[in-house]
Amino acid sequence: MEVKILSAKFDIEDAHRLEVAREHGAYATIDKLFAMKPEEVIAEVKNSGLRGRGGAGFPAGVKWGFLPKDTGKPVYLAVNSDESEPATFKDRYILVKDPHMMIEGIIICSYAIGSHDTYIYIRGEYTTQVKTLQAAIDEAYEAGYLGDTVAGHDFKINVTVHRGAGAYVCGEETALLESIEGKKGQPRSKPPFPAVAGLFGCPTIINNVQSIASLPFILENGADAYKVYGTEKSPGTHLFGISGHVEKPGMYELPLGLPLLEVIDKVAGGVWKNRKLKAVIPGGSSTPVLIPEEAETTTLDYESMAEHKTMFGSGGIVVLDETVDIVKLVENLIYFYHHESCGQCTPCREGLGWMLKIVKKIIRGEGTTADIDLLTELCDNIEMKTVCVLSAACTMPVRSYLTKFRHEFDAYVSDSTSTTEANQE
Amino acid sequence: MAEMIKLFVNGSEVEVEAGKNLIDAIGAIGIEIPHLCYHPALGADGNCRMCLVGLEEGGPPLVPACKTQAAPGMKVLLNAEHIKKIQHDVLEFQLINHPIDCPVCDQAGECSLQDYYMEYDGQKSRMSEAPVSKSKKLDFGCGVIHDQERCVLCGRCVRFCRQITKTGELGIVNRTDDARVTIFPGRPLDNRYAVNVVDLCPVGAMTSADFRFKQRVWFLKKARGICHGCSKGCNITIDHNREKDQDDLIYRFRPLLNEEINGYFICDEGRLSYKQENENRLTEARRGKTAISLDDAVTTALKEMAKAEKIVLLISPDSSLEQMAAVKSLAEATGAFLSGFSDGYIKKGDGDDYLIQDDKAANRAGLALLAIDSSRENFATALEDAQMLINFNSNLSLSYDSAELEKLIKDKYIIAVTSHDSDFCKMANLAIPAASFTEYRGMIISCDNILQSFDKAIDKNSPPVEISEIAALLGGSLKNSEDQYNALKEVIVSTESFNPDTIPTAGLKLN
Repeated sequence: MEVKILSAKFDIEDAHRLEVAREHGAYATIDKLFAMKPEEVIAEVKNSGLRGRGGAGFPAGVKWGFLPKDTGKPVYLAVNSDESEPATFKDRYILVKDPHMMIEGIIICSYAIGSHDTYIYIRGEYTTQVKTLQAAIDEAYEAGYLGDTVAGHDFKINVTVHRGAGAYVCGEETALLESIEGKKGQPRSKPPFPAVAGLFGCPTIINNVQSIASLPFILENGADAYKVYGTEKSPGTHLFGISGHVEKPGMYELPLGLPLLEVIDKVAGGVWKNRKLKAVIPGGSSTPVLIPEEAETTTLDYESMAEHKTMFGSGGIVVLDETVDIVKLVENLIYFYHHESCGQCTPCREGLGWMLKIVKKIIRGEGTTADIDLLTELCDNIEMKTVCVLSAACTMPVRSYLTKFRHEFDAYVSDSTSTTEANQE
Repeated sequence: MAEMIKLFVNGSEVEVEAGKNLIDAIGAIGIEIPHLCYHPALGADGNCRMCLVGLEEGGPPLVPACKTQAAPGMKVLLNAEHIKKIQHDVLEFQLINHPIDCPVCDQAGECSLQDYYMEYDGQKSRMSEAPVSKSKKLDFGCGVIHDQERCVLCGRCVRFCRQITKTGELGIVNRTDDARVTIFPGRPLDNRYAVNVVDLCPVGAMTSADFRFKQRVWFLKKARGICHGCSKGCNITIDHNREKDQDDLIYRFRPLLNEEINGYFICDEGRLSYKQENENRLTEARRGKTAISLDDAVTTALKEMAKAEKIVLLISPDSSLEQMAAVKSLAEATGAFLSGFSDGYIKKGDGDDYLIQDDKAANRAGLALLAIDSSRENFATALEDAQMLINFNSNLSLSYDSAELEKLIKDKYIIAVTSHDSDFCKMANLAIPAASFTEYRGMIISCDNILQSFDKAIDKNSPPVEISEIAALLGGSLKNSEDQYNALKEVIVSTESFNPDTIPTAGLKLN
């Protein structure tokens, strides 16, 4: 089931070094790129159907098309390497194993959108990754792929690595821009969208690491070759991080569209210790949970996830076995989003803390049915009332747990009439 | 006249001003959209989420009104259940960690959170857990006290220091419900407009060290006034109260919106100048050290004036146009030399490029308009030959040190017509109490040549007589306000015809 498109060089020793990477085809697309017109590059990417790999799945080529023409302002490219969504560990592989693939992608994207300045916003905790990445960038400058010309072609590209300071919210694209600008990382109200007024008020395209890293393959082999993989509406391959209660957790590159349970069984070795599957988090902690019956009919693509009222997200699949205490999982989940709320908007700032207090109260055995109902209501009261979707990234999954595992919450509260076995070990 | 557009609010067509956001546009026709973080002087931030409104067609279903421009044909939904629920929910969120200490909070009575709770929430608290505790009674400097627990994190104060004073002393640190407004360590508020953050704060998080615990705001009576602290003419609200068995006292000045002059703000010095209206007032006429009646004082003055061969009249540059005209008529009637000399009122380099002016005189332009001589030399020369000086409330101590002053007035008969007791007043042979600027109706002209009028705000238990009235009693020909207006009409030239009763509240720009 596994394929090797993005991960082609991951198993090659020292592929992060330019010399090795080049031996295996890195920067092979540069001459082809500059023989094309920028519009042709955009058309090719549009045609490939590549969707943003940051989680939202917005078509990359279409996003580029939102850039206003001839504003007289510079166009910036920001590469989102803030990979902080719990259960997500795909971009870090690219940064460490094959950074030159991403740099090549940056060159392709920059040429397509007419940008001469790229900021790579990298998660602050990624200390190993930032070293490898910076070393690769230095090599690329040295070798003439970056700087005043690109391998002799008259096109200037400067790449700056900007390290985050540990805030999850800075993965939100406008908070990321604020952070690069040296301000507190708080999402901006939209409109205006970054394509119109982004970094330093200039038109800006923000793409995820994996989206950018997918470009060299598309350019080298053509959109059709990319579309061989995946489904019609979700073409291509994706780096899936499979974690949790499986025999073989890890990062696997798979074409989109594969059946979820089959992937868990065949790729990740199935649920560990011969235990039963309780639930699957399909795409990072912010995606609504799937129970086994739902997972049965789910395939790993944007459409199937939407049909099952969840999201493809970041491809971070978490497998939960029968021993998992959902209420405690929810506590952990809310703890994270509460901790990471930037504190700007009232509902998110105050509401997530309130939710955390309620779930803790339930776990302490002091809760009542009314508390569970309040928790459910708060999800509605917070969600979509804020500048960004951080609060929704908490309330959407919490609501799914409350709906699909209500009996586990009931078991914790004193006035419950539920007969379901309590799960309190 | 601003361009008007038509849009729909709750299904009814309304006409509003174009180019404004929904809060201002719809607010101007009396329909309130609740908001905490938006302030017209600071722009939209969009963090409080109180102003979320529905758009029935086109655009997203829910938008922050502060960030949404009023557009023709827009269908704004305010009274729908889901919008009312958002307003209630946001207030509930604001209140779960709020101390709800209204009984001891100075903001009570003028608090957006309190008002909105009554208007949009009114529910019992569902918060059963302990609220987040933060710091209280933080001295932010410049007389600003901060309570982090009361704060709704609207960020108005932070934006004020960044956008208006550009000093940036305040910031919001920490994330989530631990976020709080604070100063940087060892770097308190340090600007001359700092106390405006108290007015800007929609809740009781920012309080004024000067005002707090002095009065409950619902006891305060509000009157419009013009600050006389400098020549800018900032509009103010005079908050005053007469407590049982006491005099009518002013408790604070607050800025009053005048787009043409001071916008939404005033400087801290002007704000605190209210104290001078309460303190150190001359309340009784004095001959030497003996208290006498006003009638006796006038009689004495007239007798002494008859004796004097040459008289110099000095008028304060803070005086109203009416007072200047009245004193001028007195000079004409008595053949006295009239001076508006007041060099000391100008503090070179003290002003800034915002509101504060070098010239601390409220109506120097009035002196010029009435062609009153203000030269130091002419004043000194005239005084040398004179036997008498009648000083109408001008503070000579600003222009002369005490030795100079003593030398200047040696052997002269001095009449001080004055609102405040002072060293000069004590040296005077005769002192006559006069009303101060919150106690009379008048007109002044600002440094920007804007004519403004103001009404009497304070009614003292023993109301002091106005300078113009004293001037008339001493022989001036302008006996009443009608006389004064008629005299002024001849000199006031503006694009619109001058009528003292119809001066626009924004002021009248003179040619």
